[in-house]
Amino acid sequence: MKIRLKLEPLPFRNKSMVPWLLAASILLSSPALPSLAEARVYLDINAPTLVQIPIVMSKWKADGKTGPAIYEALSKNLTLSGFFRVIEYGQLPASLQRKEGIPDTVVLQEWMPAGGEVLLAGEASLEPQGLQLRVRCHLFDLVEQKQVFGKVYEGHVQTLRQMVHQIADEVVLHVTGERGVHTTKLAYTVAQGTGKEVFVADFDGGSVKQITQNQSINVSPAWSPDGRRIAFTSYLKRNPDLYFIDLEGRNLQRFSSAPGLNLAPSWSPDGKQIALMIGMEGKSEIAVMDANGGNLRKLTKSHGNEASPSWSSDGKSIAFVSDRSGSPQVYVMASDGSNVRRLTYEGNYNTNPSWSPKGDRIAYCGRAGGRFEIFALRPDGSALQRLTQNSGNNENPCWSPDGRYLAFSSTRSGGSKIYVMNVNGFNQRPLNSSKGAESNPAWSRRFN
Amino acid sequence: MSRKRCTLIILSLLCFAFVLAGCPKKTVTMDEAAMKGSDAAAAERERQARLEAERAKQEQELRAREEAARKAQAEKDKEFEKSLVAKKEPGIEGEVFESSLLKDIRYDFDKYDVRPEDIDTLKQNAALLAKYPRVKIQIEGHCDERGTAQYNLALGERRANSARQYLMTLGISADRLATISYGEEKPMDPGHNEEAWSKNRRAHFVILSK
Repeated sequence: MKIRLKLEPLPFRNKSMVPWLLAASILLSSPALPSLAEARVYLDINAPTLVQIPIVMSKWKADGKTGPAIYEALSKNLTLSGFFRVIEYGQLPASLQRKEGIPDTVVLQEWMPAGGEVLLAGEASLEPQGLQLRVRCHLFDLVEQKQVFGKVYEGHVQTLRQMVHQIADEVVLHVTGERGVHTTKLAYTVAQGTGKEVFVADFDGGSVKQITQNQSINVSPAWSPDGRRIAFTSYLKRNPDLYFIDLEGRNLQRFSSAPGLNLAPSWSPDGKQIALMIGMEGKSEIAVMDANGGNLRKLTKSHGNEASPSWSSDGKSIAFVSDRSGSPQVYVMASDGSNVRRLTYEGNYNTNPSWSPKGDRIAYCGRAGGRFEIFALRPDGSALQRLTQNSGNNENPCWSPDGRYLAFSSTRSGGSKIYVMNVNGFNQRPLNSSKGAESNPAWSRRFN
Repeated sequence: MSRKRCTLIILSLLCFAFVLAGCPKKTVTMDEAAMKGSDAAAAERERQARLEAERAKQEQELRAREEAARKAQAEKDKEFEKSLVAKKEPGIEGEVFESSLLKDIRYDFDKYDVRPEDIDTLKQNAALLAKYPRVKIQIEGHCDERGTAQYNLALGERRANSARQYLMTLGISADRLATISYGEEKPMDPGHNEEAWSKNRRAHFVILSK
């Protein structure tokens, strides 16, 4: 279902974001002279503390239940982004609590006591037979006393959550300089009976949907580049074969079925090739095939056991795991299999590399002090950073498409659950509170 | 008439007397030979009978031994046959059999080589396979829950293969030994401690066809 989007004219000339960012930066005591590009100062992965922008969410003007539903979902999404401290209208001074709808910029002054740097205000209406939803949403800069954006979203009432995700993405874009990932989804597995099934949920943990229902062991889901299908490995035919299935759980297609492993596909950035694990002569190798499944060729040539390929964003390299040194370590090779170099030297168990879509970091799972933790380093091996600390076992890191978040599985609260964190390790939170042991998260592209 | 009858009687008597008079020497001689011959034959018969009895006894014993062996074998065969338990797993095609006579072997953490203490187990498994040349098996490589699922699937592949290689060195032909890795996906013990983990790091043998 489509959502139509209109820009609302700004009451004043839309000035550059720079003055606002300057103000925000000064408030945040940043010594750097900011520009739009430097908006990422808030996202500095080496930042010693988490910087969050206080955002005021005034009461929405709305008919029926749609207003509260949008308000609640939007507040949750902005909080989950990790970039905001949401100030809901219930926390505001009494005079501001009752103010609903979109204010005129000339009265923005009265929102100064709210304690926020930005104000998000909106209206929602259902028309004509309660099926068509119209949402107006405006973001104001309270420091500069001006409107940042104003948009109208129109669509079927069932697209309410998608609208909320688009609004959240827009707010993140204007505050951080880059669109958010609220329209993305996560695929993961959930243990059921003696098997595992593939599930999909939105970035905010909602809209959970079971994709496979075959009682088999289904592992390692991965998204096709177009986001329409999920690849996963299943034991349906008593061999770990690679399958595709669509998001409705239909059109199951067996894609790779060499005797032995067919596992862990990673697409090249141009979508034309797939790197994967293939069992050959009693061990696992990294191989590459064309996206249509043909032209399989082995890349690894060592006596070791190879696992978990992850393509670099420039398409030139592949990170992978090998036990050729006697313990599993992360290596990088050129995408033709040449120039193999070892990346990890700390510890004796480093697996599951995941190359950031931004290209600047490789996350992996390493064993430290008897537990498994998430680490990240630069592709040259420098700037090693530990992102999880002494909280259960943390495995399977995977990046959001903007490279600003990592999803992973963690046993910190007992059973294994999917968690999401910002790239600097802040804001670690469970994806949702569903039951069953979850593992193997995979992050989709954006769906806007 | 009466004289004629008398003459005939006398002649008959004479003849009889003559026969009686002429026979004794010969009769004795004949009797002695006959006596001598029948003694030897009897002894021979006796000997033959004894031999026969002995042979029969031996044959019977042999047959009994064979019968016992056959029974024992049948019993043993039945033991293998009896040990087979059909196993159908949800969501996995086909049916396999498990036998308590095919024993698991275990592995050290993050290792795939056969441990010295498991060599006897593999030899017993190989002996069983040698005895039932039609049996084809699948060797499952398993891992404990620690570490990442994908690496564990690769490790399970190697574990299954190292067990396979060992059985091949013991003379079991390669085409009877399929492998599959389940990584950490099918723990034998759901626990989260070393006791459970050590049980879960295993090669498990299932029978694909009898």
